[in-house]
Amino acid sequence: MGLLQEAIFGVVTGSYIAIAAIGFTLIYGIVNMINFAYGEYLTLGAFVGFFAANALPGPLPVAVVAAMLGGGVISIALARGFFTPINHTGPVPMLLTSIGLGIAVRNAIRLFGGRSARYIDTETATFRFDAVPEVPIGSVDLLGGFFLTSEHLTVVGSAVAVFLVVHLLLTRTDVGIAMRAMGDDESLARVRGIDTQLIRDSVWVLAGVLAGLAGVLMAIQTNVSSTTGYSHILQILSAAILGGAGSPYGAIIGAYVIGLALAISTAFLPSSMTGLSSAVAFAILIAVLLVKPSGIAGTEVREA
Amino acid sequence: MSALDRLPSGRGDRALLAGVACLLVGGLFALTPLQADLPSALYVFVEVGITFVIYGMLVLGLDLQYGHTGLVNFGHVVFFAVGAYATAMLAAQDSFSGIALGYPWPLALLVGVIAAALLGVVVSATSIRLRDDFLAIVTLATAEIFHSIFVNFEGTFGGNVGILGVPRPIAALVGDADTRLIATLLVLGGFTLITLAVVTRLTDAPYGRVLRAIRADELVTRSVGKSTITYKTQAFVYGAALAGFAGGLFALYNGAVAPGFFTIQVTVTVWIGMLLGGAANHRAVLAGLAIIMGLRLVSRFGLSVTPVSGDVFAAFRLLVVGLILVAVIRYRPAGIWGDPQELGVDQ
Repeated sequence: MGLLQEAIFGVVTGSYIAIAAIGFTLIYGIVNMINFAYGEYLTLGAFVGFFAANALPGPLPVAVVAAMLGGGVISIALARGFFTPINHTGPVPMLLTSIGLGIAVRNAIRLFGGRSARYIDTETATFRFDAVPEVPIGSVDLLGGFFLTSEHLTVVGSAVAVFLVVHLLLTRTDVGIAMRAMGDDESLARVRGIDTQLIRDSVWVLAGVLAGLAGVLMAIQTNVSSTTGYSHILQILSAAILGGAGSPYGAIIGAYVIGLALAISTAFLPSSMTGLSSAVAFAILIAVLLVKPSGIAGTEVREA
Repeated sequence: MSALDRLPSGRGDRALLAGVACLLVGGLFALTPLQADLPSALYVFVEVGITFVIYGMLVLGLDLQYGHTGLVNFGHVVFFAVGAYATAMLAAQDSFSGIALGYPWPLALLVGVIAAALLGVVVSATSIRLRDDFLAIVTLATAEIFHSIFVNFEGTFGGNVGILGVPRPIAALVGDADTRLIATLLVLGGFTLITLAVVTRLTDAPYGRVLRAIRADELVTRSVGKSTITYKTQAFVYGAALAGFAGGLFALYNGAVAPGFFTIQVTVTVWIGMLLGGAANHRAVLAGLAIIMGLRLVSRFGLSVTPVSGDVFAAFRLLVVGLILVAVIRYRPAGIWGDPQELGVDQ
């Protein structure tokens, strides 16, 4: 397989990581916590989408909308139940709570859903481009024939739509502007009359909707199981930190860097070591924290 | 003056005495034909007890890092794993996967400790300045990277099979299974008690006061002229070396290492044990760990009396463990025996 094909896979992976990473980084910036249970929101969204696709007669977009709604409801419910009551305790207890909650939710899903993978049936059109010349360098082919599926286009299209909507939300609406104000300085925002708890709740809903969408897109691409979201949480986290924690635009760039790095490392690693490609994402994360801990967008994460 | 008056009174000294006594009795079982008779109903207790004393060293090291110094290390298992793998690779003979060099096991154990300490130096040199929650993420990511390295480099680390044929010094001396279990528990438990004595001595000293001052307020500590980065690095490396020692002992007890023994589950277990007992109190963290390991026993017995599959039961146990972590942080942030005032949390 040519490098061009791997790059396409990388862009697709980057797209759904980007959707999730925006939600993750908004929670980080505004609620001021690393939400390690975020992967489970993706899994729950994927399950909602799966059941909606089976139960509802409508086309696939109905299932996607159901997953987004489900994700939003789940996110605000979990936040109200677990995170809002300990909001004052600071980042470390919140991180530890989210780790505990993640374990609990993941195993609750395993308890009720079993370990087997489920598949969402979709009709896929494949577009082949075989006429592209091969440009081999060593064992790796730089161009080569490639293919695109309608699923790939759906994922990338959804991601672009999300970027536009989030951008408009953050720059053109009152609630979005209030979110950015809170991300900058919560006390000042409160002084200016912003209802900080309301904004925090809306961030939870928005992050849940994005998680639901990312989860159902992952489900369409691969499958639904209890570890669908968890297996991506470290990539989402890497993307968010790489982009500069708290910055949605940075997270988008970070997600595509991570997606492409994963895909291209698959091309260069020997086939027996493809499992290492996930380590590549963490190696990037650590390298970023060493060289430029503030990330692409420049938020300081060092003490003093 | 009776003999009792001459016994040391400090908590650390008593732990040292108890540890040495355990080692001596364990050695007696191992070196002489003395035999122990263990009812088969107690096997499971002794086995979980051995795991408990090994994890006990992990929790003591973690408590030095988090409880005393405030370093949020959420990848503690990586130091345990590196210690175990280094010991196993050096000492193993004729493993059919991975590297087996066949050196004497005391040397291998020493190298295991040094390897874990070196990794601790590298991690702290690069990340100790990060904000608490980011240090947690870096250590967690380090653990994940090493896990996938162990799985993927089959030629070196044996892949999912791991490294077999690690010498088992106690099993080599004792043929009888009952005596072997008792001797192992006593020897490893002795090491844990000695560890408890050493860390108690360390944290009762003025050195420990500096560590707790860093946890309470790093800026103030620096302003009175303490090099907080040096202290934090030292505490981190001590904890890492201790975990490496525990890992080496684990490899020499288990006779094999594999990635399955070193999952994030280990980190979560020792963290919950520490928070449940009460961070910054050595005996409390051991008690908290005992509670969590006791839950493991309960679930083992529960599995044999309920008609559900092992997988369902494992999922249910982890569900409960996760909720315990959430509940402890919310309702008893200082743990059961912790001092809320010292930890700076409101009850």
